[in-house]
Amino acid sequence: MKKLKSIIQYECMTSFKYIWMFYAIQYLSVGFISIGIGLVLGNFDDIGTNFLEINTLIYVGILGVLGFHDDFKMLIQNGFTRKYIFIATISMFCFISGTMAFIDTVVANMLHYINSGYLSLYSSLYGYENIFMNWLWLFLLYVAFCSLLYLVILVINKVGKVISIYLGVIFGGIILLVVALFRYVFTAEVISDILKLFMEVMGFMANGTINYIFPVLTLLVFVTILAVGSYTIIRRTELG
Amino acid sequence: MNAIQIKNVSKQYKDVMALDDVSFSFEYGKIYGFLGRNGAGKSTLINIIANRIFADSGEILIDNDLAKENMNVHEKIFCMSEVDLYDTSLKIKDHFKWIEKFYNSFNKEKAFEIAEKFNLDTNKRFKALSKGYQSIFKLTVALAIDVPYVIFDEPVLGLDANHRELFYNLLLKDYEESENTIIIATHLIEEVANIIEEVVLIDKGKVLLQSNVDSLLEMGYSVSGPASEVDAYCIDKNVIGDDELGNLKIAYIIGKKTQLSKESHLSFANMNLQKLFVKLTEKGGN
Repeated sequence: MKKLKSIIQYECMTSFKYIWMFYAIQYLSVGFISIGIGLVLGNFDDIGTNFLEINTLIYVGILGVLGFHDDFKMLIQNGFTRKYIFIATISMFCFISGTMAFIDTVVANMLHYINSGYLSLYSSLYGYENIFMNWLWLFLLYVAFCSLLYLVILVINKVGKVISIYLGVIFGGIILLVVALFRYVFTAEVISDILKLFMEVMGFMANGTINYIFPVLTLLVFVTILAVGSYTIIRRTELG
Repeated sequence: MNAIQIKNVSKQYKDVMALDDVSFSFEYGKIYGFLGRNGAGKSTLINIIANRIFADSGEILIDNDLAKENMNVHEKIFCMSEVDLYDTSLKIKDHFKWIEKFYNSFNKEKAFEIAEKFNLDTNKRFKALSKGYQSIFKLTVALAIDVPYVIFDEPVLGLDANHRELFYNLLLKDYEESENTIIIATHLIEEVANIIEEVVLIDKGKVLLQSNVDSLLEMGYSVSGPASEVDAYCIDKNVIGDDELGNLKIAYIIGKKTQLSKESHLSFANMNLQKLFVKLTEKGGN
């Protein structure tokens, strides 16, 4: 357990320090752009931004990619097994996502308090009523995004560039097929049922109420599938 | 059994057989020279021992524990790599801090002492170091970890003569104190010839020989003289190679010397490890 603790510490602490840099750059950029536009327009009435969490999604996506590239080499050099590396990486994703989701939730609610027109990713869907569910949803969304990119980079590393391109083409083909199915094959009734199901797993019930648990469970299932996929690949991954 | 046991290990890359049913052991408490030409399979085998890549077949045991995906061997083996696997953005002193957390047997104070002897600036980031100092950092870590098996893959790459000398001195001092197994994979055979006790020679994915260095050098010799006399002498001998210059010939032999007659124009000479290595591996390449 001491070894596992040390590798989790390494993963979390070496990634944590960059969070402050990210937020400093983000808020300085937003500040400068707002002031710049305000000065050009001559007033600050309609100046603002929404969905700042999108930036965090990009950041955690990069983290997902680097989670494999740099850390796998370093940790395998230090004698750790792939199982330990995987646990440490997922722990790091959770730690960073949890921290950033907390900051984003607090900032979003503060911005909304100052300027009621501000919309965060969560509030645009579910409103500002439940701050804890806001954090939990955002946390799982960030973990899902990290895990997705981590899985993608593991697959690319495993199968190589050429097969990855083929897989990308096949994936694109599947999306086109699904679009075609919706447009030409499925009946209006089937499409309505699918959309209803999709809305319900996102928490929007048929009776017009919002279920805050369903979207969280959906993301949890998604994260679990991605994590199982990642572990299946990483336990067969060799140092390139 | 206290040893690294390599049992029927094979590894293939597309159409290249990197290791072909390799079996031998690195016994505990000896200094090994793990020798072979470029592409002979040295790094492949080291990477399999260090659980960095997987064998297609066969297994590796470290003190009877499977080396593959097993944290039980974490405190038993350390492998210093030729390639750079460390986080390049971390400072050297931070690397020491983390490695101390990773390995119970890592002596951070000793690492700083060794770094000082090499004039390694521990406040620099890994990527800011020259190639030679990156090797020195990796050596420093390996020398400061007290595990039963330490593997050095091309340890003196990019080091100047003074630093190489210092490394070999520190290595021998360490060995005197701990008597751990040290495995040195290198091309610089003459440099390690006086250090190593055992030699494992690998070529084209197969083990050519494993022997004690002293007995190997006793068995290896060269005979030179007129080509016809050399050819006559070599009948029924294990000739591993020869060189010809006009009518003169030198044959390199492993085995016992035969007494020469008084009229013979032949003469014997001892063979060094490098010559032995070259002659054993030169067939099929330059």
